[in-house]
Amino acid sequence: MEGGVIDIGTVELFAASALMLVAGVVSWRLALGQERSIAIATVRAFVQLLAMGFLLVYLFRYQSWWLVLAVLLAMALCATQIAASRVKQKVRGLHLPIFATLLSSSMVIAFVVVEGVIQPDPWYSARQLVPIAGMALGNTMSATAVAIDRLFADLDSRSDEMFALVALGATPREAAFPSIKAAVGAGILPTLATMCAAGIVQIPGMMSGQILAGADPVEAAKYQIVVLLMMSAATTLAIVLICFLTFRRRFSREGYYLDAGIR
Amino acid sequence: MTTLLFVRDERGAVSLFEARDLSIAYGAADESGAPSPRLDGVSFGLERGRIYDLVGPSGAGKSMLIRACAQMMDIEGGGLLLDGVPSDAMPVREWRRRVCLVPQHASLVAGSVRDNLLLPWTLKVNRDRRPPAEAELEALLDAALLDVSLDRDAAKLSGGQAARVALLRAFAARPQVLLLDEVDAALDDASAQAVGALTAETLGREAACLRIRHRPPDGRAFGTFRLEGGRLTYAEAGCDGRSARGEASGGNSATLPGEEGGA
Repeated sequence: MEGGVIDIGTVELFAASALMLVAGVVSWRLALGQERSIAIATVRAFVQLLAMGFLLVYLFRYQSWWLVLAVLLAMALCATQIAASRVKQKVRGLHLPIFATLLSSSMVIAFVVVEGVIQPDPWYSARQLVPIAGMALGNTMSATAVAIDRLFADLDSRSDEMFALVALGATPREAAFPSIKAAVGAGILPTLATMCAAGIVQIPGMMSGQILAGADPVEAAKYQIVVLLMMSAATTLAIVLICFLTFRRRFSREGYYLDAGIR
Repeated sequence: MTTLLFVRDERGAVSLFEARDLSIAYGAADESGAPSPRLDGVSFGLERGRIYDLVGPSGAGKSMLIRACAQMMDIEGGGLLLDGVPSDAMPVREWRRRVCLVPQHASLVAGSVRDNLLLPWTLKVNRDRRPPAEAELEALLDAALLDVSLDRDAAKLSGGQAARVALLRAFAARPQVLLLDEVDAALDDASAQAVGALTAETLGREAACLRIRHRPPDGRAFGTFRLEGGRLTYAEAGCDGRSARGEASGGNSATLPGEEGGA
């Protein structure tokens, strides 16, 4: 299948950086002050993706089960850091619940997909596990950060209502439940929207990549279907997990809501 | 130091509700530099079948005091007793069911008036109790001079109507002690009178009520607590502060006073 790949030359690759001039010029003309960020983002994308490429070459050649698992764990740790830094709401101690959420949603689902549907040999084959787990992680990472923001914004907007509920004898969970419901409901929508648009509006990234790399489009479509189903399951699981793991941070040990005044 | 003066009534029974040597303060709020109220060594008792008013300048800590009574904030020192049973002898939710705080801002949940009145029975803490019948709910609405149907959307109620529904919601659950935080502040005089009558009526002979009020006395209070400068004083209706002790020792009611309060 690799016969179909047209290699990108080194010169052409660096010439492609010129595309970032579009963003750079816009930033400069509109005085957005984003030139630095644009430069950093470009360099990071280059360095990180090439590093990942070299790492995968090494990993495919010398793969062993523990090495593959170590790479997956490191990816989950990075995803945790990125997700935690994206949360705008002020909530302390998010790293642990986010890490637990990412690990038990994307990693579990990725393993189910790889071992149950793709069934590579050996079972720890990095060529399947790393990209599939990476896609699941990337999606659950964004979904988790958005879910936390939405949950805590909704909790804060309902603080009077929750005060009244707790005063009537409600548990924190009973008081917070409408917010959890709203956050989970809203979090599931984007994945469903992507699934509905898939194949009509856009060829999803993974399928495009496989087709560019010379794979049979029908084979690529099958992979894409599995991946979309996996994303849906993983993000749903992640949103539910993170909501239930974190909502209590806005409640005291005695179960009353910590509104902005006494937080 | 505090002098405690707990008086037993004719039957020799202990007060329905007692706060003993209570020390409370909002934590962490000091950073802003705003003076946060602090109370030390506050003691008082409430008798069955009585309504008490709690008055004092704003910022004296009235809301904080009744919040503490409902265990809706941390208590640094001292204790609370209901029927002689200390608060830590029962789950905090059970305490809040029996000692019910109705906050100043009426906040109804989405749904009909009926949904709101029946809200306490959707909570785990009331799992074993039978919700009131339709006729009882109708009777409650009538008693509060609320001319709305049970099917009315709660979002369409006026401010005064919503305040009364929130109050009825607490009354319907029949708590032993009702703590009302300026619930009649948003009401016109006629409605406020109706709420006062309703309070007196639903209390019956077994429950007690402590009301924070800024309105002129409505003649329903058996006694008035005054919180000022960290000191709580008590006077029975129609008397000034000086006679409080004499009246109390006459065998009736609440107690006091803290000699010295924190600043």
